[in-house]
Amino acid sequence: MSTYTDVTKGGGQSRRSDAAEARIALAKRFAGCMFLAFVLALMIGTQEGTQDDFGYAFRKSVFAPRIGIFALIGVAVFLAVTFWPRIVPYLSRAGVRPLAAGALTVVVSFTLLNWTDSTDLNNGKFGGLRPAAAQTGGIDPVARLFFGSAFSLTPWLLLLIVVALVAAAIRFEDSSTLGYVGGGLAIVFGIWAQYAQSAVRSFLDYPDHSTGAGVALLGFVTIGVSGIVVARSHGKADSGGFFQRVYDWRPGMPLVALGAVVGLVGLFSAAWFSPTDRNAGIGLTSTMFHGTGLSGFSAAYLAWLAYVLFFATLILAGAASYLRHHLLGWVAAGLGVVSLLVTLYVMHDFSGLAAQSKFDGATGAWDNLGTGGWMLCGALTVLAGAGYLVARHEQVEVPDAAPGVSSDAALAAGSKLGPALLVVIIASALFFPPTATQFWQTVLVTEIGIYVLLAIGLNVVVGWAGLLDLGFIAFYAIGSYTTAYLTGRLPVKPPSFLELTPLAAIPFAIVICLVAGVLLGAPTLRLRGDYLAIVTLGFGEIIRVVANNSTPVTNGSRGAFNIPPPEIHIGPLDIKWGDNVLGYWYLLLVFVVIVVLLFNRLEHSRLGRAWAAIREDEVAAQATGINTVRVKLLAFAIGASTSGVAGVYFASQIGSFTPENFILNNSILVVAYVVFGGMGSLPGAMAGAAVLTWLPEFLRDQVPAEDRQMWIGAVILLMMIFRPAGLIPARRRRAELGGLDKKDSSETTAVPAGEGM
Amino acid sequence: MHEFLNYVVLGLTRGSMYALIALGYTLVYGVLQLINFAHSEVFMSGAFGSYLVVNAVTHDGAHPAWYGVIGILVLGLGSGAAVGAAVAYGLERVAYRPLRRRGAPKLAFLISAIGASFFLSQLAGKLFNRLNNNDFPTYFNVNHHVVAVAGVTVSLVQAIIIVSALVMMLFLDTMVNRTKLGSSIRAVAEDAPTAALMGIDIDKTIARTFIIGGALAGAAGFLFGTAYFFSNTMGFIPGVKAFAAAVLGGIGNIRGAMLGGMLLGLIEVLLPTFPWWHATGLIGIQWTDVVAFLILVLILVLRPTGLLGEKLGRAA
Repeated sequence: MSTYTDVTKGGGQSRRSDAAEARIALAKRFAGCMFLAFVLALMIGTQEGTQDDFGYAFRKSVFAPRIGIFALIGVAVFLAVTFWPRIVPYLSRAGVRPLAAGALTVVVSFTLLNWTDSTDLNNGKFGGLRPAAAQTGGIDPVARLFFGSAFSLTPWLLLLIVVALVAAAIRFEDSSTLGYVGGGLAIVFGIWAQYAQSAVRSFLDYPDHSTGAGVALLGFVTIGVSGIVVARSHGKADSGGFFQRVYDWRPGMPLVALGAVVGLVGLFSAAWFSPTDRNAGIGLTSTMFHGTGLSGFSAAYLAWLAYVLFFATLILAGAASYLRHHLLGWVAAGLGVVSLLVTLYVMHDFSGLAAQSKFDGATGAWDNLGTGGWMLCGALTVLAGAGYLVARHEQVEVPDAAPGVSSDAALAAGSKLGPALLVVIIASALFFPPTATQFWQTVLVTEIGIYVLLAIGLNVVVGWAGLLDLGFIAFYAIGSYTTAYLTGRLPVKPPSFLELTPLAAIPFAIVICLVAGVLLGAPTLRLRGDYLAIVTLGFGEIIRVVANNSTPVTNGSRGAFNIPPPEIHIGPLDIKWGDNVLGYWYLLLVFVVIVVLLFNRLEHSRLGRAWAAIREDEVAAQATGINTVRVKLLAFAIGASTSGVAGVYFASQIGSFTPENFILNNSILVVAYVVFGGMGSLPGAMAGAAVLTWLPEFLRDQVPAEDRQMWIGAVILLMMIFRPAGLIPARRRRAELGGLDKKDSSETTAVPAGEGM
Repeated sequence: MHEFLNYVVLGLTRGSMYALIALGYTLVYGVLQLINFAHSEVFMSGAFGSYLVVNAVTHDGAHPAWYGVIGILVLGLGSGAAVGAAVAYGLERVAYRPLRRRGAPKLAFLISAIGASFFLSQLAGKLFNRLNNNDFPTYFNVNHHVVAVAGVTVSLVQAIIIVSALVMMLFLDTMVNRTKLGSSIRAVAEDAPTAALMGIDIDKTIARTFIIGGALAGAAGFLFGTAYFFSNTMGFIPGVKAFAAAVLGGIGNIRGAMLGGMLLGLIEVLLPTFPWWHATGLIGIQWTDVVAFLILVLILVLRPTGLLGEKLGRAA
């Protein structure tokens, strides 16, 4: 409570007693929680009143028994917040965090994720599948038991049992048996879940891309790990984080474990060849292609070589990790890469053969492949990465940090997990998209990927140089229109020697966007913060309106269409992108990787440090001899040209666009992505864009379509309230802000710290 | 000439609504140095709130006597202002205060406001409806000409908007310059830590600033709804325009916001209808926004702190 008296009430207010203040604070908190519950009731309520009766939805949502549930939620939140300080000590006990994470993962899998591609059963979610599968006689009884033929809610009961066991193990610290039992059971249940789902899949007999069972397995395994941690730690506080400890113990081990799980599922559970009417595992695929003229090598691979290669890599990588043997590490990495290439070759071979015989509408190699092969590829990549990490790992004795420098040590330790994470990200970026459904592939290519590229570009302007640009989409538009012009799809035709393929338009788009950025920036960059925001916003609108209205040049509101897909003809290289969405994904990946590598260098260069200096204090930066206008112009122009590249890609991928693709809302969204992810942090900006473009598509299955934007707004709001520095805060900024948890007195934080916005 | 004057009236009508909204941007900017991006939703919720109240007491085609019209107007403006103030206060508590406590970077405020803006506009859409042409009950003849001199006409609704906007702005100006609340707002705008040392409760002052700005925007929502339509996405475009108006006048400057709003309204209406351009077809109506923004950019390049300079403290 404030100690200042209120001027408007004339001063002479007497201070209340501390007990009274505490009571008032409690009452306020309670009111806040009940208000939250009320809003939640509205959010999960009936749709829309009518013109005659505006209050219809409101009454339906609030004046009904269901409001009682929300009131209970409100009370629960109130209690949790009030007793939070007492809960905290329990949370730092060994195993609590992985237990919570695992339980949450399983709950998410049981409630939100798809367990089958079949849309009949409540969009393929667990809730719809469970009763149906439990009653279907054709499914293996063990699997049916999982779905609940014994008790009506078996899977939930299983979750409850293991969580209770592990929780009890945490509570009664002297018993390690409970932990082992709980952990072991959890892992068994996870495998059971995976098995039950694969039984359903083979019963339903059509291609399956659901993630539910895999995520449930992951969750159960996490619970299992927490049980084992509890049993082994004997009550020691687990503050360092379990994965960090394993990583410190044997670098590469977590990767080996991950690779083992993914590879085993890929080899033994997933389908390798799945045309519309069947799901053939690797064994069945082998028999299917027997005697069809498949090359001997591929036949041998499908029959036995795949297993040999995988297990050899797994054992080598595991041994290398365990022994921390550099040479073994190199061997494991090499074998992993070779096996990966062999696997890809075989997949190309047999899917190409199937396509040659026009098997089930396949048009070329890589069609009709199941998820198994790709999973094995991912696993091999991860294993090879583990081997590489072991080979490159240098023994560094970390001295016990003095209390004062613990944060630096923690920071250094945190960054050590980076390479392992990078391996996982590379593996999933390469081999996850082919296993996704057509829908998700399209989302990846047309939404997530493009916005990631845009966010990387805007991060330079907003995150590093600290210039608020609300018209970023304009450069994207310029890039798109440049492509349309150079490929001759606008009313104005380029001179014949300039007719280019879309990829060749990239340098032109970069140059034009650079020029546009400088032209816009030169007169306006001396404006401060919010003025720059409104000018860039105006610029974005101007570009859009000009494109919309100068019909003789830009084809007006009808936009450009029939833009050819990208193609490459250089020497022996001859690639033409067509209808296959996946091809665009890999093209985009190349763009993103190039841009990320460039910008990563840029961040720590002289220029990057100059940007940081300007962002923090422009006057001081100028005083140290930085030419602020030039440096800011550079940020603007570099961001703009990235946006232009994204525009080229967008135009040639989508084929046709209108000025409506470049509305102001999109510019605002890109800014939101960058800040959501963590301003000034390259991984943050990418993660922010990926999460916030993925979320609406994910919500498609969870909430009514019209409500999606509302939920996204709520997510952004909550994120900023609880983690204002973003998903992955920039390291430099994290260091500057010191402790975000630090309690400041109200007057120092009454007005936000002036950052050069 | 009379055509020109008619357009001036139209421009002033739009301009006074922009000015009312712009005041909210400027007030908040004055004390927090932040753009309250969710302000447009405060405007929207004012329209919805006042509709619920007005629709409860009157109905389509009711033509009450003049005192009835005034009564409904006061009721509509009051309820719009109340709802706007409540929403603005809620915004401050939920989307701004927690971030202030955490010392969040400045852009985080902007993004939390954008999140709140999405949330509010879509929640209103979910609760009421997502049509984009809801009408207020026509309880009086909006197109009745109050003034008709030599071809220059001012319709009733235009008169109501301009007069009530002027009254509210006068009220606000007096409040900020003459009352203790006003001086505490100006003190916080000038130098928050020092104001705190002088015994001003900064949190309360900020909340009150939000409430005042929200009330004005809510009332503007009622006026806008009466004149045109209302919907859950109505706030976006007037919001952007009002923000531009606030910048034009010098953001953080109350009189600047009034001037900027009026000017922007006039520019928007007069530019595309300017006699000789109109005749030669040089500038069609679709270029309005472009020209308006170009003028804004020009003014900013020439006078980087807006027309009247930017400090709320100095406005007095």
